[in-house]
Amino acid sequence: MHAGTSTTHDAHDVHDHIHPPPEGFVRKYVFSLDHKVIGFQYFFTGLLIMFIAGSFAELVRLQLTDPKGAIMSHQAYNTMFTMHGTAMVWLVLIPLVTGALGNFVMPLQIGARDVAFPWLNMASFWILPLAALILFSSLLFGGPHAGWTEYPPISLADGTAGALWCAAIFTIGISSTMTGLNFMVTIMKMRAPGMTWTRMPLFVWATFATALMNMIATVALSAAVGALFLEHVFNVPFYDAARGGSAVLYEHMFWFYSHPAVYIFIIPAFGVVSEVIPTFSRKPIFGYKMIAFSSMAIAILAFTVWAHHMFPSGLAPWLQLPFMILTYAIGIPTGIKIFSWMATLWGGRIHFTTSMLYALGFLITFTFGGITGVFLASVPVDLHAHGTYFVVGHFHYVVAGGAVMGFLAAIPYWYPKATGRMLSERLGQLGFWLFFIGLNGTFLPMHWLGLEGMPRRYASYVDFAKAVPDAVFWNQFETAFSFLMMASIGLLAFNVIWSLRHGKVAGINPWGARTLEWTISSPPPYYNFKKVPEVYGRPYDFDKPLPYRNTDNELDAFPEYGKTVMPTPQPVGAGV
Amino acid sequence: MAQRIVTRPNDVRFKGLGPGFWPVTMVLTLLSIVNALYFLYGSIDWIMPGASQPVTDRASDIDGLFKFMAVFGGAIMLFVAGYVIYFAIAFRARSSDSPDAVGVQIHDAPKLELWWTVLPTLLLIVLTGLSIVVWYKIQFGTAAPGLTTEVIGHQFYFEYRYPGLKTSVFSKTSPMHLPVGVPVRLLITSTDVIHQFWVPEIRLKAAAVPGLVQNLNFTPLRTGTFDVACSEFCGVDHSLMHGKLVIEPVAAFKKWLDSENKTAAAAGGAINLAAGTPATGQALFAQKCAACHQIAPFEQKLVGPGLLHITDDPAHPALVTGKTPTPEHIAEILQNGFTGPIGTMPNRQANGLSNTDIANLVAYLSSLK
Repeated sequence: MHAGTSTTHDAHDVHDHIHPPPEGFVRKYVFSLDHKVIGFQYFFTGLLIMFIAGSFAELVRLQLTDPKGAIMSHQAYNTMFTMHGTAMVWLVLIPLVTGALGNFVMPLQIGARDVAFPWLNMASFWILPLAALILFSSLLFGGPHAGWTEYPPISLADGTAGALWCAAIFTIGISSTMTGLNFMVTIMKMRAPGMTWTRMPLFVWATFATALMNMIATVALSAAVGALFLEHVFNVPFYDAARGGSAVLYEHMFWFYSHPAVYIFIIPAFGVVSEVIPTFSRKPIFGYKMIAFSSMAIAILAFTVWAHHMFPSGLAPWLQLPFMILTYAIGIPTGIKIFSWMATLWGGRIHFTTSMLYALGFLITFTFGGITGVFLASVPVDLHAHGTYFVVGHFHYVVAGGAVMGFLAAIPYWYPKATGRMLSERLGQLGFWLFFIGLNGTFLPMHWLGLEGMPRRYASYVDFAKAVPDAVFWNQFETAFSFLMMASIGLLAFNVIWSLRHGKVAGINPWGARTLEWTISSPPPYYNFKKVPEVYGRPYDFDKPLPYRNTDNELDAFPEYGKTVMPTPQPVGAGV
Repeated sequence: MAQRIVTRPNDVRFKGLGPGFWPVTMVLTLLSIVNALYFLYGSIDWIMPGASQPVTDRASDIDGLFKFMAVFGGAIMLFVAGYVIYFAIAFRARSSDSPDAVGVQIHDAPKLELWWTVLPTLLLIVLTGLSIVVWYKIQFGTAAPGLTTEVIGHQFYFEYRYPGLKTSVFSKTSPMHLPVGVPVRLLITSTDVIHQFWVPEIRLKAAAVPGLVQNLNFTPLRTGTFDVACSEFCGVDHSLMHGKLVIEPVAAFKKWLDSENKTAAAAGGAINLAAGTPATGQALFAQKCAACHQIAPFEQKLVGPGLLHITDDPAHPALVTGKTPTPEHIAEILQNGFTGPIGTMPNRQANGLSNTDIANLVAYLSSLK
C-alpha cells in the first residue's frame, strides 16, 4: 500500500467481492445486469432504429426531388418526417450517446465494477424496445404527422397515432430519467480511490453533465406529453384555447426539455472528442479544467434558453431579450471548448485514425452549426429564419455534424476494448469521407434555401420553386448527397459485424491511450477490475507513467502491454 | 510492469508557433477580409431576397445584423477550419517518428485562454447591443399605424380583414394588398391550429396562435408582388398554404379597396337556384370542392364529409346545420360556410364562389342519388 493515497479501500477486501459471472444465455445476454452487455444492447438497438429512421429521412429527401412531391401523398410525407425526427432523437441519439457509450465506457473509466444500480440499468434498457414498439405501432393507425414536436392543436388531429406517440415519449422519458439518476450516483460515489473530480477523464465529466440534464429536464417533457395524452384520450383541454387552455404552454414545456436534449446528445460527443484528440495527438488535453467546467456551464445554461425556439410563437416581447442574451452566453463555453481542442492539436504527433478523422471533422462541422446557432439566437434574424430550412440545416450540422460525428469517432475508438478486435481502418476511413462529404452536401444548401423563403416541413414547394427556380436543383443535390451518409452508416454496420471475426486482435491498449479502461483486457472481464485501481494523477500526461496503482496483476498477464499497435502514420486518406 | 521511466516534462519546443504558421494566418486573414467585403459590399440577394432594395424599413436593419454576423461568424469559421486543417497537416505523425513519440506536453496557457474567452465575449456583447437596437425598432419603432389589418390563419389559407371592408379577403383567391409608405400593423391570430404568417422579403414573421393576438409593425418602402407563406406546420396541406402580397401606391390601394366593397355588395344579390345546371356544377365541384369532399357516403371524409347522399341519406336526414336538405339550405352552407364539431367549411369568399357558381353546385349536389 502506498501511504496517503488510499485509506478507506483495502485492495484485499474488494478482491473478495467479485461476483461470479452469470450463466445461461438469457442471464448473460438478454436480461444482463452487466453494464458492458447493456451498452451493447443499446448500441445494436440504436443502430437498428437508426437504419429505420434514416430510411424515413431518405424517403423525405426523395419526395423533395420534385417540387410537386415525387413519391408520396402529403399525409404520408408528414408522417415520414415526424417519425424520422422522433425516432432519431429519442430512440437513436439519446440511447446511443448516453445508453451505449455512457454504459460501456463510463464505469470502466472511473474504475468501477458496474454502475450503482444494475437492476435499474437493465430496466432502463428494456424500456427502449418497449417505447420503440409503441412508437412504430402508431404507424398502424396512420402514424403521427405533426412533426417531432407534436405541437397541439394540430397534433390532436393525429388521433390514436398521436396518443401512441405521447405514450412512447413518456415511456422513453422514464428510461432517460433512470439512466440519469444511475449515472450521477455512479460517478459521485463509485470512482476509484484517488480519482478526484479533476482527475476524472473528460468523457466522465461529459456523462455527468448529461446525467444531470437527463434527470432534471426529462420530467418537464413527461408532464407535457402526459397532458397531451390526456387531451388526446380524455379530451382534457390543457392546450385548447377555446376552453381555457394554452397552446403556447405546451411549447414552453416541450422546449424546456428539448433544448437541454440537444445538449444531452452533444455533450457526450464533446466528451468523446476530448478523449480522442489527446490520444491521437499524443498530448495532454489543453485546458482540462476549462473543458470540464464548460460542460457543466453548458448543462446549467441549457435550462435557461428554451424560449429561443419560440421567438415568433407568442412570447411577450420583453421576454425575448433575456432568452437571446442567455443563448449568446452559451456560445462562450462552447467556444472555449473548440479553442481548447484546437490548442490540443497544436504541437502534437497527430495520427489519422478513423476516430481522429471524425474528431477533426467534428471540429469543423460542429463549429459551423454553432455559428449558425448564434444567427438564430438573435431575435431579429430569427424572425426571418425561424421555421425555415435554415433551421433544419443548422440543427443537422449540430446533431449529425456534432453528436453523430462524435458517436462515429467513439465507435472505432472503443470497439477494440469492447470486442478485443480492431475495426477495419480502410472501411472506417472510407466511411468517414462518405459521411463528411454527404453531410455537407446535404445540409449546407439548406441554409440559403431557408433564407430565400423555403419553410420546413413542406411536402411540396411549387410556389417556392416559382420564386426561386434554383430550389429544384439544390433539393435534388441534397438528396443525392444524403445517400452518401446512408452508405457510410451501412459500411459502419458491415464493419462492426465483419470485424467481430476478422478484425485484427486488439490487445489491451491499441491506441496507447491513458484512461483506466485501457489497463484491463479487451474485452474486459465480467468484473472489469480484479483489484480496484488507485489513481494518483491526471489521465492525459503522455510523457509520464500511467498514474494508476494496483493494476499490475492484470497487466502481468499481457506482456504486449505498453506496445501500441497504432497504424503506421500515413497521409490522410491513404488508407482508403 | 509496463511503466515507462519517469521523465521530466517533455521539453521539446518548436521555434515559434510551427512551420508555416504565419503564412497560414495571413491567408486566413485575407480570406476573412474578402468574406467581409463580400457581405458588406457585394450583392447578397441570392441568400437574402430583396436585400439590395429593402421592402420594408425593418428589412434593412435585420439584413445589417445578418451581415455583421456573417462577417465575424465567417471569420471565426475560416480560422477554426483553417487552423484545424493546418495543425493536422503540420503536426502529423511521420513514419520516421519513434512509435512512442509524444507531442509538446503543455497543459494550458492562461493568458491565451483569457484572450479567447474575453474576445468572443466582447464580440457577443457588441452583437447583443446591435440586436437589442434592431429588436427595439421591430417592437416599438414603427410610427402609429396608418392601417391596421387583421390576419387570421385557417387550414389552409389566410383571411385578411381590412377596416371599412365588410367582407374578408382570402389568400386562396386574391392577394393581400398593402399601401406603400404607410405604417402598417398586422394583428395576427388563428381560428384552428397554429400557423405562421411570413413574407420572406419583409423578414418578419409571427405565429397565428388560437386564443392569442400578436402584431407585426412595419412600413412598406417599395411596391411589388411578394410571396406569403405559412411557416409553422399546420396540417396535411401546410405546403399549399401560400398567397401573394401586393404592395402598391396608396391610390391604387384605395381603388382596390373600393372595388372589393363593390364586389361584396354585388354578391349580396339573390341567387337564382333554378338557373343552375348539374353539368357545370360537376366541373366546378372537381375544381373547388374535391380537395375536401368526395362523391361518396357521408362517413368517407377527406376533410369534410362525403356528399353522395346529401339529400337522401337515411342516417343523416338533416344537413350539418340541422336543417332539411333542400336546395336553399345547401346554398346557405355554400354562402356562409359552416363550423361544427366535424370541422370548418369556408364561406363563399374563401372559396371564390359567385352566385351562378352556387346555383350550379346546388343543382349538381341535388342531382346526386
